[in-house]
Amino acid sequence: MNRASSILRHRENLAAWTMVAPALLVTMVFALYPVLDSLWLSLHNIYIGLPQLGSPFVGLDNYVALLRDPVAQQALAVTLAFVVLSTLLELACGLIIALVIHERFRGRGLVRAAILIPWAIPTVVASQLWRYIFNDQYGFANLLLFGEQVTDYIPWLAYPSVAFGIVVLADVWKTSSFAALLVLAGLQVIPDDLYDAARVDGATARQRFWHITLPLLKPALLLALLFRTMDAFRVFDLVFVMTQGGPGDATQVLQFYGYQTLFTEGRIGYGSAVSVAVFLIILALSLTYLRAIGSSLLERRRT
Amino acid sequence: MGGGNAPSVTLRFISWKPDHPRVWEEALSEFTKTHPDISVVRELAPHSSTAYHDLLTQKLKNRDATVDVFFMDVIWVPEFAEAGWARRLDERFTPAMREEFLPATIEVTRYSDHLYGVPSRIDAGLLYYRSDLLTKYGFSPPATWDELARQAETIVAGERRNNPTLRGYTAQFKQYEGLVCTMLEFIDGHSGSLLTADGTHSTLAQPEAMAAVQFVRERVIGRLASRAALTYQEPESLSVFLQGHAVFHRNWPYAWELANNRTRSTVAGQVAVMPLPGFTPGRTAAALGGWLYGISAYSEHPDEAWALIEFLSSQAMQKKFTQEAGIAPSRQALFSDPDLLAAAPQLRNHFAVLRSATARPRSPLYPAISHLLQRYFSRALAIDDLDLAQEATAADAQINRLLSLGEQVP
Amino acid sequence: MNRRLLLALGILATVGLSLLPFLWFVLTSFKSQGEIEAAPPAWWPSGSLGFYRSALFDHHLFDYMLNSVVVAGATTLLALLLAIPAAYALARLTIPGKQGILAVLLCVSMFPQMAIAGPVWRLLDTIGGLNHRWGVVLPYVALTLPLAIWILASFFKELPPELEDAARVDGCGPWATLFRITLPLATPGIFTAAILILIYAWNEFFFALLILTQPEQQTLPVGIALFQGEFTMPWGELAAASVVATLPLIVVVLLCQRWIVSGLSAGAVKG
Repeated sequence: MNRASSILRHRENLAAWTMVAPALLVTMVFALYPVLDSLWLSLHNIYIGLPQLGSPFVGLDNYVALLRDPVAQQALAVTLAFVVLSTLLELACGLIIALVIHERFRGRGLVRAAILIPWAIPTVVASQLWRYIFNDQYGFANLLLFGEQVTDYIPWLAYPSVAFGIVVLADVWKTSSFAALLVLAGLQVIPDDLYDAARVDGATARQRFWHITLPLLKPALLLALLFRTMDAFRVFDLVFVMTQGGPGDATQVLQFYGYQTLFTEGRIGYGSAVSVAVFLIILALSLTYLRAIGSSLLERRRT
Repeated sequence: MGGGNAPSVTLRFISWKPDHPRVWEEALSEFTKTHPDISVVRELAPHSSTAYHDLLTQKLKNRDATVDVFFMDVIWVPEFAEAGWARRLDERFTPAMREEFLPATIEVTRYSDHLYGVPSRIDAGLLYYRSDLLTKYGFSPPATWDELARQAETIVAGERRNNPTLRGYTAQFKQYEGLVCTMLEFIDGHSGSLLTADGTHSTLAQPEAMAAVQFVRERVIGRLASRAALTYQEPESLSVFLQGHAVFHRNWPYAWELANNRTRSTVAGQVAVMPLPGFTPGRTAAALGGWLYGISAYSEHPDEAWALIEFLSSQAMQKKFTQEAGIAPSRQALFSDPDLLAAAPQLRNHFAVLRSATARPRSPLYPAISHLLQRYFSRALAIDDLDLAQEATAADAQINRLLSLGEQVP
Repeated sequence: MNRRLLLALGILATVGLSLLPFLWFVLTSFKSQGEIEAAPPAWWPSGSLGFYRSALFDHHLFDYMLNSVVVAGATTLLALLLAIPAAYALARLTIPGKQGILAVLLCVSMFPQMAIAGPVWRLLDTIGGLNHRWGVVLPYVALTLPLAIWILASFFKELPPELEDAARVDGCGPWATLFRITLPLATPGIFTAAILILIYAWNEFFFALLILTQPEQQTLPVGIALFQGEFTMPWGELAAASVVATLPLIVVVLLCQRWIVSGLSAGAVKG
């Protein structure tokens, strides 16, 4: 290695660091530090309403208590059901939407804009919208189904499993277009000559879909699955606005429980432990997905 | 705000967003007129008591010096006192001044022998009913829940033809803070309670409390009231009543003004109000609610803050708020004020109702206790195949565990 | 033939399901309170503009919208400004500990946001950012950076390296290469990242609620959440406000959809 190239390398290293440093600094200060702070808090016992208790270090006690907490168990079950149902439905809807807008037809631009609208409505507003649609007295769902027959109107949100379904529905409506965009991106890089060759071989449209489109979409679908799972696990706004966890704890999700313990109840240590637990579950799931996707997405090179 | 000479002190006053913003703006501008050296900045939080609590305590937890005066729910007094967030007002709020307020409203500001707030408005649950329908069927106001249920059944059956959506009763049964109030009234009416008198143990699994919950589970939800009541907070349940879809309705005093407001209500002029019944004749029940003014422990302007509180809770201002916003005052003299009684006859009952009103558990851990209560009640009412006794025992144990934490304190 | 029918059905279902709920809100916004709350509710509105008047003037909707535009715009610009060089360096240059940096970024974006609200609040308190619009911009930037860097880096990776290598040989430093060669090629990827950041900042409720408690700075989601009064469900105002608030984003989406779609397709995923 000669001197000139070593200087060049040095200069490039310096440039690389000055490029990364500002972003890293902001993330460290406003995201990583708070994360570490909340890890630290989760190892203490802190009750805002009982300052006399102090804030003793209790090790992993909060996590042990969490494992035995029936409310947390219920919340975990509801959250898992929510994640599985909503991400699968979102992928399915996203796939359909993507297949539709991948086609060439007149007015495609407008259709693309239309499917992005749910995504652009603030979640707190979308939640109110769905609460309104499923209102028992004057909701759109009842009007559509029963018209003037007001005595048949159903109090949708008053049934635990239906209320849960509506929260899932609202999430699917809100975020399917996100999945659709990622899937569409995958569709667009499938080379046309593959289809042509299949057509020459006499494959039907259905065969082409199952044997060409779907396998080649796998990375895109997995990426969408990763992003959506990470988000679905942290569902909060929908529950906060629509149901407050009810009726009968049917929509009590982990994030909402974390919020309740941390903000309303002032159990800082325990609430932090709930959040860290959510984080660990997401981390484990993401690692599994990333392994399934193959090597790290960032390390791929065009070949 | 202050016109020519700049105010020297800026007070920050935080509350939820009021339904009558104009009344508040007028009140505050009058204050700044009479106190030219003080300007007031409003900070607004969402209107749910819990959401507002969470926002305010987030500021106080972090010793935010930019909050001076806050609106405080009566259930927060123990928590705010223990956490050191609310200033003690024992000296500023002199015994002579206290005497002008209803005794019950002073009691809720007290925690372990100190006062932490000045009453703004004190609420108690009331039973609203359709006087026209009761008269039509020859009923006098019900003395017990059983009688109420019988009356409602007769009326609903009789009215089925011209009002098929009419239900007997509507109230707040959603899983939220209000559910504790609604259920406390049923339990109290059944001579039960949420906690033992010394506040150290849960009594949810006692027969009285269980019988009351059982009554709501079997005879109210889906029968006397639509199952939809499981999704109702105050606005939704009131809307049902205002639209003429319910014979009886449980709500706070403010509902009177709206129920008789001809632009909002289809039943204006056909509404009467009475104390909520119990399960035996003569027994009534009401959950205690309401709002206080408090001064933040971290405020750098306690004197000016006190001046604002004195002004807002003065006789004239309370009268203004009652007349223009329909909220119940806390000063004794106003309950015999002829102008007010003409405008707000529901206040006539208020004296008696407030005297017997039942407070929710007074504990610095109340928010956590409340969540357990909400869960228990909502599960008991919403889940069909549920072993009530088992559920009550489990809730009992969880609440007792919380309460024992408070006792470990040295 | 069969295929065209399927496509038509697909278009109808997609557009219908996306828009139907929102259209009901649009109808609601022109109704009167009586038409909303009647059982059954009125199908068609009588065309009252009362809720628009109330949302715009009584509830100061335009102020909230302006705040949201400022906050979302500033967040997007700042996040891109920080993310672009970082993503470029991570994609193209040699940095010791690159894997570690990427891992930390990914982890940070997985953490539940409310858990970090307390520390963020204290930080902002220290530097005087509470009740300032820039006070929410900082955490928004920090929270969107990981995703933005991720998307941009994977996009930069996909660009043909030959042009950059040529520039490098001609003596261009990394910064010059980034700005002269890579950026012009990367506009679709940047658009994708921008729209993701923009929509996040436009939608975010929780931090905004905690950090901005004065009406003069509050953003749309918080402002609309404050419509909920003590006594009544303000469906009409809510509907009118959502319609007005969604319009600018619909315009942005219509204008940018070409870039959004091709941007993602060109960059993010390839098997």
